[in-house]
Amino acid sequence: MNPEDLLRHPLPAETPKLTLGCPLLDRLLGGGVPCGTITEIVAESGTGKTQLSLQLLLAAQLPTSRGGLSASSLYLHSEFPLPFRRLHQLSIFYRPHLQHNPLDHVFVEPLHSADHLLDLLPRLDFLVPKFNVKLIVIDSIAALFRGEFENTPLELKRRSSMFFKISSKLRFHARKFGLAVVLTNQVVDVMESSDNLRIGNSAALCSSGRRVCPALGLSWANCVNTRLFMWREEERVGSEDENFGNMQTRRFIRVVFAPHLPDTFCEFVIRREGLFGINR
Amino acid sequence: MEVSSLPLSASQRGKLISAGYTSLSSLCATSSCNLARDLKISENEAADILKVASRRSGLDKIENGGQAIMNGAQTAWDMLHEEESSICITTSCSDLDDILGGGIRCKEVTEIGGVPGIGKTQLGIQLAVNVQIPADYGGLGGKAIYIDTEGSFMVERALQIAEACADDMLEYNSLLWKDSQACEVNIQPRAFLNNMFYFRICTYTEQIAVINYLEKFISEHKDVKVVIIDSITFHFRQDFEDMALRTRLLGGMALKLMNLAKRFNLAVVLLNQVTTKYNEGSFQLTLALGDSWSHASTNRIILYWNGNERHAYIDKSPSMRSASAPYAVTIKGIRNSTSNCKRVKLM
Repeated sequence: MNPEDLLRHPLPAETPKLTLGCPLLDRLLGGGVPCGTITEIVAESGTGKTQLSLQLLLAAQLPTSRGGLSASSLYLHSEFPLPFRRLHQLSIFYRPHLQHNPLDHVFVEPLHSADHLLDLLPRLDFLVPKFNVKLIVIDSIAALFRGEFENTPLELKRRSSMFFKISSKLRFHARKFGLAVVLTNQVVDVMESSDNLRIGNSAALCSSGRRVCPALGLSWANCVNTRLFMWREEERVGSEDENFGNMQTRRFIRVVFAPHLPDTFCEFVIRREGLFGINR
Repeated sequence: MEVSSLPLSASQRGKLISAGYTSLSSLCATSSCNLARDLKISENEAADILKVASRRSGLDKIENGGQAIMNGAQTAWDMLHEEESSICITTSCSDLDDILGGGIRCKEVTEIGGVPGIGKTQLGIQLAVNVQIPADYGGLGGKAIYIDTEGSFMVERALQIAEACADDMLEYNSLLWKDSQACEVNIQPRAFLNNMFYFRICTYTEQIAVINYLEKFISEHKDVKVVIIDSITFHFRQDFEDMALRTRLLGGMALKLMNLAKRFNLAVVLLNQVTTKYNEGSFQLTLALGDSWSHASTNRIILYWNGNERHAYIDKSPSMRSASAPYAVTIKGIRNSTSNCKRVKLM
């Protein structure tokens, strides 16, 4: 390998994108999830990040004419096992556009620790070409680092060095094979007293009325290319005098930072058919 | 040509002048034994002085009266002239240009750091576009090398910024030449992309290899006027057990980049991340890669959030005083902050 081989000239016309399966959400992301880079979805539990992940696993199989990558997807989970029933339910809506059974092209592997993930990454060299994988979802990255590291300067240093190692390997494979890499991340509450460091477009992220920030801190924020934040707001609907006024959950998705996107957000709903952006 | 400008010791120079050898031509006319007698020095020393003088007069003929005493050396006066006439790469944000003294300077290494999402990559792409602004429009008309270590360079974003830049040039053109016939210009946004040499780096060994290769590459592409590395840091933040090795590698890289900047009269822009530094029981925000790295660049600019506004702060600069200015990241690229415009209008 020579240094001149790393030059790409002329530049490609556009970065390939993976559709989210909804035109409004695609518009928010300038066409979809970009290939060759790392996209992170940050949300508190129950907002819909796993739902969106499942949708992407199926969308990746769509032919390129429909915005997909006509390829298989790999799902690495560290929190919950793959919600298979839900995936099956969603797959019905994708079936008509595909020649094969979509479930046959979703590969699933559990992750136990950050070291386990690092051990698994070199295997991508073999797995990706063999099964024509073009999308890797890691749900969630935060769970790999919960508990294993203590809150001392030395341990935090070891942890951030691990972040950069994982990110570098993921970026390497993303570039080599043109993979779309999607990670989900949890949120942590922000203490009122602490002076919180602002990262990205909004000064404060709120979900369910609480101030939150993405887990894993500043050094991890350097490890992703695009960060999206999903949040929910509870809203009372119906008449005021009723004690049991219906609570309605509204969900939103926003670009926290991305090299190619402005600061925009979009409301979305989760239906049986999947996750869809709505205009309100 | 004065004898006093020769690279000689003060005592030798003093002896020469007191003996009447004030001009270079008078020195060239004499022989070493005459000079040794007149100055009361050994013949060897006299021969050395003559050697210096003759080399000097030889150079003078070649350089047409220039001030090059030794190969590559310059007087501060010449450097000042050169600096005053040198053109900067505009950032497209006039407030930022003002505090930088016109923009990003050639022959210097400028480091720019900030939190994720503050606009480092945006500024990098903007500079890669702006370096290509033709000389007629006050630019350098050069090409750009973009070394991407993080994969954040997006072609569509570069095209968007290039389109906005081309539009601005057309607008400028129509203001300058009221006659619409004259504004026959052909500025293709896609041509901007063709003048960017994009390297995608995935490991630190690749990064070092490419930086070593740059010298050869730039001598083949002399019109390259800016080298942007986005980011210098990323591959050096994963487990380097031997921190001394890391410091050495980074030091070597910094030296190479500084030499490139000087030799080819181009601007080197290094984008850096920020990190928290543990200092006396509290965490503080600083640019990554440690204290020894802070010597690697001529200028350091820190980007930070001030309320809802992005600001740039000059942390280190040999010629500009430290100051800060607001800027904004818009669809068109880096621009003046709008709230600042309002303030200016009010005053």
